[in-house]
Amino acid sequence: MTLETVLIVAAALFSVGLYGALSQQVVVMVMMGLELMLNGVILAGAAFWWFLAPAPEGQVLLLVVIAAMTVEMAMGFAVAIALHRHRGTDMTDMAADLSR
Amino acid sequence: MTGDAALWSLVGLPALVGAGLGLGGRQTERFAVPVSLATAVIWVALAVGVAIGRPAVDAPFMVGTPVGLAVDTLSALVVVTVAVITLLVLMFAAADVTGSRGRFHGLMLLFAAAVAMTATATTLPALLVAWEVMGATSYALIGFGWQQDGKVQAGATAFLTTRAADLGLYTAAGAALAGGAGLALADLPEAGEGWRHVVAAGVLVAALGKAAQLPFSFWLSRAMEGPSPVSALLHSAAMVAMGGYLLLRTHDLLAATGWASVAAAWAGALTALLLGAVAVAQRDLKQLLAASTSAQLGFVVLAAGLGAVAGGTAHLVAHAATKALLFLVAGAWLSALGTKRLSALRGAARRWPLVGATAGIGALSLAGVAPLSLWATKDEVLAAALVESPALYVVGLAAAALSAAYAGKVLVTVCRRLPADAEARYDDEVRGTRHVGVLERAPLIVLAAAAALLVVLALPPVSHSLRRALGDTSAPTAGVLELLGSAVLALVVLAAVVRWRPPEPGWAAGWLGLESATHVLVVGPTLKLAGALARFDDRVLDRAVDESARLTAVTACRLARADVRGVDGLVEVVARSTRRLGDLARLPQTGQLHEYYLQAAAVLAVGVVLLIMLG
Amino acid sequence: MTETSLVTALVFWALAVVAVAAGVAVFRVDSMARATYALATSFVAVGLALLLVDLDYIGLVTVLMMVMEMAIMAVYMIMFMGMNPALMPMSMVHGQRTAVGAATATFVLLAAGAVLVPWPERRGVPAADHTAALGEALMGAKMLVMMTVSPVMLATIVAGIVLASHRTRYDRLGDDLKQRPADDPQPGGVGR
Repeated sequence: MTLETVLIVAAALFSVGLYGALSQQVVVMVMMGLELMLNGVILAGAAFWWFLAPAPEGQVLLLVVIAAMTVEMAMGFAVAIALHRHRGTDMTDMAADLSR
Repeated sequence: MTGDAALWSLVGLPALVGAGLGLGGRQTERFAVPVSLATAVIWVALAVGVAIGRPAVDAPFMVGTPVGLAVDTLSALVVVTVAVITLLVLMFAAADVTGSRGRFHGLMLLFAAAVAMTATATTLPALLVAWEVMGATSYALIGFGWQQDGKVQAGATAFLTTRAADLGLYTAAGAALAGGAGLALADLPEAGEGWRHVVAAGVLVAALGKAAQLPFSFWLSRAMEGPSPVSALLHSAAMVAMGGYLLLRTHDLLAATGWASVAAAWAGALTALLLGAVAVAQRDLKQLLAASTSAQLGFVVLAAGLGAVAGGTAHLVAHAATKALLFLVAGAWLSALGTKRLSALRGAARRWPLVGATAGIGALSLAGVAPLSLWATKDEVLAAALVESPALYVVGLAAAALSAAYAGKVLVTVCRRLPADAEARYDDEVRGTRHVGVLERAPLIVLAAAAALLVVLALPPVSHSLRRALGDTSAPTAGVLELLGSAVLALVVLAAVVRWRPPEPGWAAGWLGLESATHVLVVGPTLKLAGALARFDDRVLDRAVDESARLTAVTACRLARADVRGVDGLVEVVARSTRRLGDLARLPQTGQLHEYYLQAAAVLAVGVVLLIMLG
Repeated sequence: MTETSLVTALVFWALAVVAVAAGVAVFRVDSMARATYALATSFVAVGLALLLVDLDYIGLVTVLMMVMEMAIMAVYMIMFMGMNPALMPMSMVHGQRTAVGAATATFVLLAAGAVLVPWPERRGVPAADHTAALGEALMGAKMLVMMTVSPVMLATIVAGIVLASHRTRYDRLGDDLKQRPADDPQPGGVGR
């Protein structure tokens, strides 16, 4: 369990999440991809904290990341509802233009 | 003061009146004759006045070279002679010339003014101006009857020949300036060594041309196409005489260069001889008189070459009177009988006794019969020739014999009995009027008197004072033996002509072929050169201009095309590329979320790589 | 202090494999419910891995948060699909090959970075009770973080409600908020 191995795992998680964000059509699935990316980020952050600089500031950063994830989740679900209400769809492809 | 005014008027009065009459057009027809005769009378008075008063004036012209007029003995004699003869000729012309009187009298008066200026000029500018005006009026007067074929051509021949000879005078003026002698006629002998020869040569050529000496004599033959009064004034008494006058005036210059005086003397002598032969061979009265003018002026040129100014001047004056008389007679017979062929004029002297008598006096004077004027004046000249060179004397004597021959030919022809078929031979030139009026007879009487009485100029009492006045005291004078000898010679030749007809060789009848020679040697090459230059101008210079114009147009087109294709094209390309870049920039704006994520990921990756590489 | 015992390493590797496999499974399974479960599994694995590096508080927070989120997501399934989400087959993708390529490239890049970058030495040691240290840092030296995150959370709540509500008070009470009674599809309430 060295820094490099943990980082490689985090990179793998990030890549999988990126694949999901790029390939999924449903808004919620896209958000799941984003979640996975942030998952990878949290793991990487924790690895850096433990192996390079185990100070409280690192933990604060991780908390901020988690807060960001939360905000993103909330906003994403709200937008999905608004989209569904106005366009009757939950797929990002139908949300390509601004107004109708 | 009045002397100066008289001298200016001498030149100015005939010039102004002549110009007025000439330019006046048809309105002047009615009063042209009275005005011109009145002007001529006043002019005679002015001439006598300046001859007595001897004034001198000058007016500024170029720096250091004024236009100067002055009257000394030589000028006085010439001016008075010309003035009187002009008056008489104008009287004759009042009856003889019936069309375009304003133009005729205007040109004659203009000519008179030019002669006055030539005879009184003291500087080359004045001389040149007057010289040229004389030539121009001569051209206009020879071509007076321009409606008929050939008259203007004859005038052009005369004008071009004398004008070509006048180049000598211009060269002389230039050489005088270059030689540092200034342009005053009296100062010409003081030019620098080499320049003096050029000056003398130039003056000699110009004078020979104007005086119709060899090799320029042929123009005088062509000049006979003009009206008779014109021949009487210009081509016997005034214009051709000015050539002789110029040489008499510049005899110092000719003597100073040595070769010029010898050349002048021989030119004059040879002309007298050869043109005398030509005169003997002529069948037309005016042509004979023209050749005889040239021959007699040869004597004047001989005198100038020898430095015998008094003899030359006397001969000039006497010949003027005699020749004017003979030309007027020829003119009277031409307008009365309509012909000037000698064969048709047989016995013409008997039809009008007065005209015939005056013609006889003129012919006898021309022959050199004593005691008429040309006998003694010729001997003055020949006396100087004898002293200078016996060869010259022999040639001169032969010329005198020939003059007796041609004068005798005229005398014999016109004094014959009238043939029965005389009437049939008349009217081959114009319709004759069969009438000789008073205005035509009166001048003849005066001129005949002058031809007889002017002999005094060459005989002791008057000739001595003439020599003193002309500063010519050292010249040899004719002795009694010589005078007697020449009188006898003239009578002998006259008798021979009466007895046997004089021969008429072809070379002499054709004026020695001078005109055709001039055409071949001078006119032909000049015209060819002109043609070549014109072709050069067209093909090279003109083409250069055309080509440059064409090239300019072509260049303009090319530049325009370059501008449209190049510059404009560049601008178009820039605009098109910008538009395409703008279109390209819109492509990422798909609205698709996953594509935006992809773009963001790519940009981030590039940014990170750049950061790592740069940082 | 980076030496690890064999047990720790084994556990970590197991958790890593689970996390990555679950992550992949999120996008391979047929139904959204199963995707949700897979995501939850992945997060739980990561949270447990955090526990391995002594990050107790954060790991537990992660686990708790993800479980709550999965519950909410299940609610969303029912709302939008209107049927039992477990039985619905779904695999709707677009730009599959581009996504795979981008993901692979990203993984290669990050892994290369992780391996090739010369990481520095560890600085300092963890505090004895790092959770307490975190709390003290948050309330003390890092108060700014707390002060920033709180309003952001509040704003999120407000924005979420605004975005998600179908009929707001302007719809109910008119543009000047003066219309009485309110314009409701199903009247009721206390008349306000």
